[in-house]
Amino acid sequence: MSRRGALILLILGALCLICGCGQKRASHKNGVVHLEFWNGFSGPDGTTMERIVREFNKLHPDIQVRMQIIPWGTYYDKVTLGLAFGGSPDVFVVHADRLPEYADRSALYDMDELIRSDSISAADFMPRPWNAGNWKGVQYAIPLDCHPIGLYYNTKLFEKAGIVDDAGRAKPPTNLAEFVDAAQKLTIDSNGDGAPEQWGYVFTWFRTNYYTYLSQFGGDLFTADGRKPALNSPQAQDSLDLMRDFIYNRRFAPSPEGQDAWIGFLTGKVAMALEGIYMLSSMESQEDLHFAGAPCPVFGKKPGAWANSHMLVMPADSDPVKREAAWKFIKYLSDNSLKWAEGGQVPVRRDILESPEFKKLTVQHEFSKQLPYINYMPSSISLNQALPFFDAAVEAVLCNIKPASEALAEADRRIGEVMSRQ
Amino acid sequence: MRKNQWRVAVMFLAPYGILFGIFILLPVLYGFFISLHKWHILAPRPEFIGLRNYKLALADDLFRIAFVRTLFFVAMVVPVGNALSLLLAVGLNQNYRGTTFYKVAFYMPVVMSVAVIAILWTWIYSAEFGLLNYYLSQAAAFGHNLAPSVFPATLKPQWLNSPATAMPAIALMSIWWGAGGNMLIYFAGLKNIPRELLEAAEMDGATPWRRFWTVSWPLLRPTTLFCLVMSVIASFQVFGQTYILTGGGPYYSTLTIILYMYQQGFGLYQLGYASAVGYLLFAALLVFTLIQFKLLAVKQ
Repeated sequence: MSRRGALILLILGALCLICGCGQKRASHKNGVVHLEFWNGFSGPDGTTMERIVREFNKLHPDIQVRMQIIPWGTYYDKVTLGLAFGGSPDVFVVHADRLPEYADRSALYDMDELIRSDSISAADFMPRPWNAGNWKGVQYAIPLDCHPIGLYYNTKLFEKAGIVDDAGRAKPPTNLAEFVDAAQKLTIDSNGDGAPEQWGYVFTWFRTNYYTYLSQFGGDLFTADGRKPALNSPQAQDSLDLMRDFIYNRRFAPSPEGQDAWIGFLTGKVAMALEGIYMLSSMESQEDLHFAGAPCPVFGKKPGAWANSHMLVMPADSDPVKREAAWKFIKYLSDNSLKWAEGGQVPVRRDILESPEFKKLTVQHEFSKQLPYINYMPSSISLNQALPFFDAAVEAVLCNIKPASEALAEADRRIGEVMSRQ
Repeated sequence: MRKNQWRVAVMFLAPYGILFGIFILLPVLYGFFISLHKWHILAPRPEFIGLRNYKLALADDLFRIAFVRTLFFVAMVVPVGNALSLLLAVGLNQNYRGTTFYKVAFYMPVVMSVAVIAILWTWIYSAEFGLLNYYLSQAAAFGHNLAPSVFPATLKPQWLNSPATAMPAIALMSIWWGAGGNMLIYFAGLKNIPRELLEAAEMDGATPWRRFWTVSWPLLRPTTLFCLVMSVIASFQVFGQTYILTGGGPYYSTLTIILYMYQQGFGLYQLGYASAVGYLLFAALLVFTLIQFKLLAVKQ
């Protein structure tokens, strides 16, 4: 935008403020409490959430929730500005890995009292997602869902390659040996020009893929006390080298292509990928794609899968009437998280996980088997600052720009510098 | 000046002056104030730390990388871009038929926003489905049929995914995007050159080449200075292209100063540090601009 355009906008904004658009809306008029609910569900998940909110509004005439969807790309900027300078929503969603930043700076409401005085309790939830809402012993959030990554595989390509069980159905690999074997069988270069037409596997999002490998090898981003980076470790190196190996030595994964990688899986040119449960709707809308989901194979010493959650939170300085209404709304969302899960999420409530309705959602059900051992990224206020370096190191190695030892040592040093700057 | 002339002058200047003060001058000064603090956006009270942010930025190897990568970008875009603009302007100045069409065509990209341009070019540069690689691999296949030992069967460079080509690819796109703007300014400069001088040179038997170098080029000097200064400033502030196309990658090869500042300020909410980075860029730009004035200014 030109400088002049910006000026005009600013003047309009100033006029708007003077005329009172910026005045706080009356929060409860005629006994009806109005709630602002923010999230970043800009995909098909937004439609699902809208439906749930509509049902809530119908059932609760005294509480009216107005949902605002802000795409994740700019969501946190807007939430942060709202929390810092006023104008924050009454209920909003933060990802589990962003929660400490807000909790540590006292921007979120401490929910312990509400939980104690209510029927809801930690025992109703799977422990890992529940604990992701905890910061320094205080519960700041109720987890709405969990979105781990898992193995998506193209059943048609598996059957064609003869990777099937006794009943003749596609059989997903569960460990490294099976995985390598399957990926090699599924990589097909029929014209022999050295550029396969079909690949066994592809790296889509480096961050989630690498964190899964890293966790399975027993490594992590930070030391256990969360004070220092831990990427300069043999576990970090071995796991990243293994990933690199898939591309440059075993050659069953294409060298990274950024945006085209996932399209490769959708169009049946790639047989396997590790991706989040949230990708489900993009696959279901793809014609001629026959796929299934399974837990991530075990590449390292123990099972593991990157995961994150949408956490329901309230701002620290909310008004008591609204807070009570918001709490009702949060519980409603949690109670109805099966509907939410249908759109491509794993619920975290034990009762829902055990329900027969949930077991019918086959991919979600497969991915939910990972819940006991899923790996959230470490709870730390420095995580958001460390991730760009983490991402860059993985990119450098998978794009064959730097060897793993060098890239990880460099990332480790830079993360250390940033953490000491805090 | 008489007293009421002052009053009139102030009244005429006020509308712009007030807006300039509120929206440019104050934020600029406030930015300097912020740069002296350790300031996370959610922190209740910023902590005064003097010039520590500047010291940290100068010691930060990523800031240095960003600076060098930005210089690399400027070194590609400014000379090539300006030469291209001048070439286009000279071409348009020949009074061929249909120059208006070309003027519009060359100027069109300048009008489009960087987001549009960048997304358009992702489809040109895409390694697998890109237009550029489509023609390249067609050409390679054609050559391969003739001389298999010389030409590869397929040629699909990863333009934006390889550190060696990412920045030149972005520079090429930026040159295409911006050439039309300076073209118009050069064109206006050429139109300002008195015809009689060119005609006199022609009478003396100067070739078109000679006429350009001895008459037009020296007289274009103020125009060239203007175009160079503006394009150096604009290229140092490159942001949208790298933000959208590469996000600074692969492996920091397209990390530019403003992008780094943005990441610090908006991704990581380190307002003080980001402001210091902005001020360091300001200082560097000031130096570069002064050097250019010194070297190119027309002596009075």
